[in-house]
Amino acid sequence: MSLVNFTAREITCKIVYYGPGRSGKTTNLQYVFGRVPETRRGRMVSLATHGDRTLFFDFLPIDLGTISGFSTRFQLYTVPGQSYYNATRKLVLQGADGVVFVADSQARRFDDNLESLQNLQENLLEQGVDVRQMPIVFQYNKQDLPRDLVLAREDLDDALNFRGAESFSADALHGSGVFETLKGVSELVLRKLAVGSVPA
Amino acid sequence: MRVLESWVSGPLSRFLTESSARMVLLMTSSGQVVAQHGFTRSVDVMSAAALGAGIMASTGEMARLMGSPHFGALVHQGSEQGMLLCGFDTPRGRWIGLVAFGPETSVGLVQLFFQQFVDEITAAAPPAEVHGPVLAENFEHELNASLRALFGR
Repeated sequence: MSLVNFTAREITCKIVYYGPGRSGKTTNLQYVFGRVPETRRGRMVSLATHGDRTLFFDFLPIDLGTISGFSTRFQLYTVPGQSYYNATRKLVLQGADGVVFVADSQARRFDDNLESLQNLQENLLEQGVDVRQMPIVFQYNKQDLPRDLVLAREDLDDALNFRGAESFSADALHGSGVFETLKGVSELVLRKLAVGSVPA
Repeated sequence: MRVLESWVSGPLSRFLTESSARMVLLMTSSGQVVAQHGFTRSVDVMSAAALGAGIMASTGEMARLMGSPHFGALVHQGSEQGMLLCGFDTPRGRWIGLVAFGPETSVGLVQLFFQQFVDEITAAAPPAEVHGPVLAENFEHELNASLRALFGR
């Protein structure tokens, strides 16, 4: 749940990048880390194995600046994607204000995406959160790969995004779509704090 | 010292004075910062809170796997400073305290005074206030400008 400090006029929101292993969640954060000026971000904390696979989470705090008179900060987290790390995924998901589901666009990873999305729904439900109430955007990563290896955005939308959430094509390694994805989820998360907002 | 809500200030000041702790961080169980003393950069505070909440969450899960109730506190003793990490229930939900201390005090004193602090803020916590909308309806323009500036676009 977003933390609002009315005295200091500060807002802090938690956004979790979720998805199957090696879909590019950490790469998204690494790109953001590389682009955002040092004065506007913290250190990127990565609890990873020697092979650079996320073991617990990656964490990157960024300072968005002032929005509607509130100094606004986002805490960006990733979860470990491999199926056997579900206990840690649940822990990181606690208190999330928004989710970016990073899908791997490769056709051979189709089942992994479905399994991860189902896992997200189960873990949210276990925490008493209905996925329909959670601000969520989809990012279809690795769209830069040869066309015969990847599924088109429309096909991925059909398979994964049956609630019609906003979705973005991306090549996180080179930054394409990373900004748009963050912007998309930011709007959804902050909309919940805005005048005239209605439940999703 | 920075606190999210003013009723935390008094008990936290007393704890700092009595325990001689160097740094204190109070956070929710999901890693949101509630109060802090001793950190210089707000973004570093958030990193410390994320790690502290992660440690407590994984330790709690370990306890569950071993069929134990929550572990109350964790202590790490380094050569220059030590760290106490402690979870506790408040009327505002479960919070976590992270305390860094040096050789000018001891883990026993820090734990003793921290428990007093927990008792004080548990008693002092007012009911959660209900606030109306926080942001203006047309906040997107400012958000987009902020994000474009951040990404150099």
